[in-house]
Parts: sequence; structure tokens; C-alpha cells
Amino acid sequence: MEPLTGMGVLALMGAAATIAGASEDLESDVGSQSNPNSQVQLAPQMMYPHRIHSKAVSGEPPSNALMCAIGGTTASVLISTGASAVLALAIGAIVAAAIHGTYSITAYMGRSASQKRFKQPVYLDVIRSHTPVIMGYAFITTICILVVSYLMVTALAHPFPLPLLAFIWGITVGAIGSSTGDVHYGAERQFQNVEYGSGLNAANSGNIVRKAESGLRNGIDNSWFCAKFGGPVTGLAFGMTVFLSGWVTAVFDATKGDAIGWVSVIAGVIIVLMLILWNRNIEVAARAAYGPYKEDEAEAEVAA
Amino acid sequence: MSAGGSGAAAEAIPQNKIIAFGVVGGLIGIYAAYFLVDIVGSYMSFIGALGAICGMVWGAASVRRVASYGLGTGVPSIGMLALGMGVLAATFGLAVGGVAGPVIALVTAAIIGLMIGVLANKILKMGIPIMEISMTEIATAGTITIIGLAIAMTGTFDFPVVLSQVITTGYIAVIFIAGGLAILHPFNACLGPDETQDRTLMCALEKGAIAMVVAGIVASINEGASGALTILIGLAIWYIGFSGYYERVKRDAYAVVGTGLLPTKEELE
Amino acid sequence: MIDIAGILMANIVYVILITLGGVLISWSVHFVPVGGAPAAMAQATGIGTGTVQLAAGAGLTGLVTAGAMMQITNNAALVLASGAVGAMIMMSVTMIVGTWVYAYGVGCPPASAKVKYDPITKDRQDLYVSQGTEGHGLPTVSYVSGVIGGALGGIGGSLVYYALMSINNGLALPDLVGMASVFAVGIFFVNAVIPSYNIGGTIEGFHDPKFKRFPKAVLASLIATFFCALISVLAIGGM
Repeated sequence: MEPLTGMGVLALMGAAATIAGASEDLESDVGSQSNPNSQVQLAPQMMYPHRIHSKAVSGEPPSNALMCAIGGTTASVLISTGASAVLALAIGAIVAAAIHGTYSITAYMGRSASQKRFKQPVYLDVIRSHTPVIMGYAFITTICILVVSYLMVTALAHPFPLPLLAFIWGITVGAIGSSTGDVHYGAERQFQNVEYGSGLNAANSGNIVRKAESGLRNGIDNSWFCAKFGGPVTGLAFGMTVFLSGWVTAVFDATKGDAIGWVSVIAGVIIVLMLILWNRNIEVAARAAYGPYKEDEAEAEVAA
Repeated sequence: MSAGGSGAAAEAIPQNKIIAFGVVGGLIGIYAAYFLVDIVGSYMSFIGALGAICGMVWGAASVRRVASYGLGTGVPSIGMLALGMGVLAATFGLAVGGVAGPVIALVTAAIIGLMIGVLANKILKMGIPIMEISMTEIATAGTITIIGLAIAMTGTFDFPVVLSQVITTGYIAVIFIAGGLAILHPFNACLGPDETQDRTLMCALEKGAIAMVVAGIVASINEGASGALTILIGLAIWYIGFSGYYERVKRDAYAVVGTGLLPTKEELE
Repeated sequence: MIDIAGILMANIVYVILITLGGVLISWSVHFVPVGGAPAAMAQATGIGTGTVQLAAGAGLTGLVTAGAMMQITNNAALVLASGAVGAMIMMSVTMIVGTWVYAYGVGCPPASAKVKYDPITKDRQDLYVSQGTEGHGLPTVSYVSGVIGGALGGIGGSLVYYALMSINNGLALPDLVGMASVFAVGIFFVNAVIPSYNIGGTIEGFHDPKFKRFPKAVLASLIATFFCALISVLAIGGM
């Protein structure tokens, strides 16, 4: 392939992946999916019943893999009947979003109903207001992942079939979303009632913020907050993963010989080394900026 | 996502009955679909998905039993393990077995599952008393799910057809994850101290119906199978499953309200 | 019936390679710094997600890269290296963005609670652990450990895929790719779950005392993957 065409395809894939990552994270924040869900789950037990959507759809990677695999399957079926790719991908994403909606409804109802002894009610209006938002984000995530997978199959001639690629990228976007953006929701948004600048003290577990700027806080309020930082950086993370892992092979095209293939490997390793140094840089800066929690430690010893 | 308590879960329906339901129902569904498609016509392929639903309900019941002991990590891990083992066993069984393929796949899955269960307790020292039997059950249930959904998609389990229409085209990925989530999602979704068996299993029925609908979508382009009937029956089962689930949520929940404020302090005490 | 002994003898080297790949995946999971649910609340050191899922995300990204490379070269080392690079990039990008969130979104420095001094940078750790937590973020040692884990997982996944693709068989290429990728994903998941049960879902990296448990998971994976390798070789080789 022409290097320029390859670069263009890759840029498009990176852009789609960035959107997919951002919407994936916000989707999980609306429904408090994945690991921060443990605090939403714990809250009623600590006498803090709440009106936050609690969507435990099996952790983000499998649930995103499900959406993307269903979308990829439906799209692939439609494409094989001769439908245009754009239409097929859109319909695939609609089917996936609808099915994801049923998963999130059963998860909210199920987890809340299993907390009867802590007196956590099931609020039907939470379902009515949150499910369309969740489905909307799910649609965006799925269609972007399908665009990435479709471009890989058609433009980059990847050997894996569309549904399998969509499945794998779904697992990856879920793994990235739950590793990055969710921390912003879990460690900061849920616990805005405690001082900024530390991890969650185990003593505060379950004491999540339940009141909003107006009324009682819900999942949509949470996505508003996370859209300022957690969502976009998740998008960057997934976009970087898709872009960089393709970039090294697009620039150093291994079809021209194994030697160039090895250059692409070296380029990848150099990128990783740069990221290690960057992490170290942030570590040093953060240690200097936030300083040691020395008094905290002394207190902890007294308490112990 | 560390989850689960520590101890055996309360069961209204004994596990042995569910095992019988899963194995017998699953095999009947698989073989009935295989022969009836030949004898009656391709629209009988939906029976394969019914067999798969038996497998998914059984798998969900087993996940519920073993995850109640607390796995040290999320419930999803065990579902992924189930389908990881299942996909290996199913592909192997169908590839070598011919008409006995599903049985060979089940036996293979039981061996892999038992082996992983023994390894978990003997080498990893997980100390979950029902680990061996549960792993055997989960692997077998995953295999029934995969074969059943594959038949619903193609109308047969003859390996060349399954290979070209399910594996090469990548639809195996959606079987893997839709089947896997139908097995792991119900207990994960209903996790909590007041979880009840019938509600969890009703959720499994509903998720199984979704997998059936997806299989129907794929079946619509395969000549050996009928998509429309599979989708319609799948939607009907989904409706039964969802309304049954909602009934049980209303029965089990502290309150199901249209809207409202949080429970008051007096209520909480 | 197929000639079981004949197929196995002809492909014995691939059985061994698949088993080795599975063992590498299992070992690699022990390197990945995963804090589980507490890490998502900045309550424990590591990445705030589950072991299985993160290992799968990295390893499968490596598998995608290796699959693309396998189309254009027969050089085994290059396929394995590109699989490793794909997984390493996924893992290091995830971790750097995780560090952004911990440093700029939550406002806490990376700190380990398992060791007093970071073995690589020699930085004091315990003073930087905020009250009531077991560390947070990704200190350099965890980051490097994660990169190693990504590399090993990528090599393991690509090795399994490469070996499956190399079995003597009579399949057309798209069919072979389909079967090999499905078996590779299945073997990957089995070998990602076994070690996560071994470490109980959380680990900080190779400096964590739990890391010493890895021989148990490696042994379990060796036995389990050997059996999986036998049936995969029979299934593909019998075609």
C-alpha cells in the first residue's frame, strides 16, 4: 500500500478509537460500571442509600466485547447481503446498543433488589432516564470500534474476520477504560466530600457523595464531571494504543523485508522506553508537588 | 470487582436437577435440531438455540454456586474461563467426532474442567470445596452453549459447515461472548446478600434468549438454518424471561418505586 | 477416526511451543501490576482493573499485531517480537494515562505499600502512601514490571498463534486463520484466569511478595495448556 494511504487510514482509525475510548468511559460512568461500582454497591450497607445507577455488567472488557461482537456480527451479516458498509455498521451498532440496554437494566434491578436488607429501593425513573444515555454512549463506542475494525479488514488487509477483530478491540477498550478513566470517577468524583489529594481512606469506604448541585446525585451528573478529564484521557489512551501499534508497522513496512520489520520492533521499544521515562518524570513531579504524607503516617501510628 | 461471600448459596432448586436439565436438555436440543433440520426442514434449527439456553441456565447456576465462595477476583473471570475451555472442547469435538461430535466435545470439556478444578484446589490451593465439580459443570455448560448456538446459526454441526460459516467468518466470537455473558452475567447482576436462585436463573433465561436472537441474525444468511423463526422465538422467550425477572425483582426488592427521595433515617433504623 | 498418534508425532514440536506459550502467558500475568477494585479508588497500588481483563486486553492487542505480521513474513522471531511490541504499547499507554489520572485527577503521587524503597529508583515509598490506603498509582518499579508483563504476554499469545498456524494441515488459509485465532483466544483466557486465581486478583509487580507464588500457576498452566495443545493440534492437524 502507498505509505500515504496507510497513514491516512491509520489517522482515521486513531480518531475513531479516540472517540470510542471517551464514550466508553462516560458510558461506564453513567452506570457506575466496573470497579467504582464496588463503592456504589457498598454504600447502602453503610447506611447510605442512593439514587445512582449501578450497572454491574460483568466488568467493562466483556461487556464492551459483547457490544462490539454483536455489532460486528450484525454488520458483517448485512455486508454479506450486499448492504453498504456505512448502513451496516450503523445498524450493527444500534442492535448492540439495544442489547446493552437490556443488560444494564437487569444489572441495576438485580443488584438493587439483592440489597433488600439495606433498604435500597429500585427507582424506575433512574432506569428510564439513564438507559437511553447508556445506550447512546454504547452506540457511539460500538460504531467507532466497528469503523476501526472495518478499516483494518478492508484497508489494511488484516487476516482476522470483522466480528473477531471487533471482539478483541472491545476487550481492549474495556480494559483501558476501566484502568484509566474509571479511576477519575472512583477516586475523585465519588468522594468529593473528602479533601482532594489522597487515595480513599478505607474508613470512608461506601460514603459516596449522594447529593448533587441540584437534588440528588445520579449517574448523569457523574458523566458530566468525568467528561472534563477522565473520559477524554481514556479516549487518548485507546487512540494512542490503536495508532501507535499501527504506526510502527505503517512507517516501517515489513512487507519490504524482515530488516524493516525489525526496525518497526525497535521503534516500538523506543516508544515504550520514552513512556517509562515520562512516567518517571510525572512520578518525580507528583512526589515534589504533593509531598510526603508524613503527618498522616504519624497519626496512623498513634491510631494503631 | 472482588465479589462473593464465603459459603454455600441457598438453593430452591437442587443443583442435581439443574445439571440433569442442562445436560439432557442441551443434548436433546442439539441432536433434535441436527436430525429435524434434515427431516423436517431448515426452520427447525431454532431447537439448537433452545438446547444452548439449557446450557446457559445450567452454567449460570454453577457460576452462582462456585462464586458464592468468593474467588478472590471478579465473577467475570470464571465465565471467560468457561467459554475459553468450551470453545476448545467444542471445536475439537466437532472436528474429530462426526455425528458423535457433541458427545465427544462434552466429555473433553468435562476432562478439561475437572483438570482445572483439581489444579485450582491442589496446586493453587484455592480451597473451594466444590471447585472440581463446578469447573467440570461450567466447562460442559459452555460447550453445550457453543455447539447449540452454532447449530442455530448453521442448522448442523457437521464440521466443514461450522468451520466455513461460523469459525472462518468470525461469528464464533459473538457465540463466545454472548454465551459467556449469559453464563456469568446473571449472578454478577444479582450479586448481593439478598440474591435468590430463581431470580438469577430467570435472568439467565433472558440473556440466553438474547444470544438466541443474535444467532438468528446470523442464521438469516445461512441456507441450512432459518433466521426469522429463531429471532421470533428468541424474542418471545426474552419477553417471558424479562417479565419473569421483573416480577421477581418486585418480589425481592425493598421497594420498587416510580421515583422518590432516599429512605429516611427512621426507615433505615 | 483420525490417526491420533501420527498427528501428534508429526506436530510434537508445536505441542511443546503452544504449551510454552501458555506458560509464558501465565507467568506474564504475575508481572502486571493490578490493584483490582481498590486501585480504582486509589486505595491500592496498581492499575484499577481486574487481572484477567487487563492481561487479555494486552495479550489480544499483541495477537492482532502478530496476526498482521504473520501475513507478511515467515520469520518466527519477528512475529513474536511484533506481538510483544503490540502488547507492550497497549500496556504502557494504559499505564501512562493511568498515571495522568492519579497525578492530575486524583492528586496523589505513585507509591507502593509493599516495599519501603522502590528497587529501581531507590525512592522512599512508605511516606508517600496516603492515610488509610495501601498505596496508589504506578511507581517506576510497577510500571517496568507491567511493561515486562505485557511483553511476555504478547510473546506467549503470538507463540501460541504462530504454533497453531504452523501445524501440518489441509485447511485453506482463511479457515486456518479462523481456527488458530479462536484456539489462541481460548488458550489465552484459560491461562489468564489461572494466575489471577493464584494471586487472588491483585499484585503490585515483581517486587510484590505474591510474585513468589508464580511457580504454582506456571505448573498449573503447564498441565492445563499441554492438554489444550493436544486437542488443538489434533483438531487442526486432523483436517
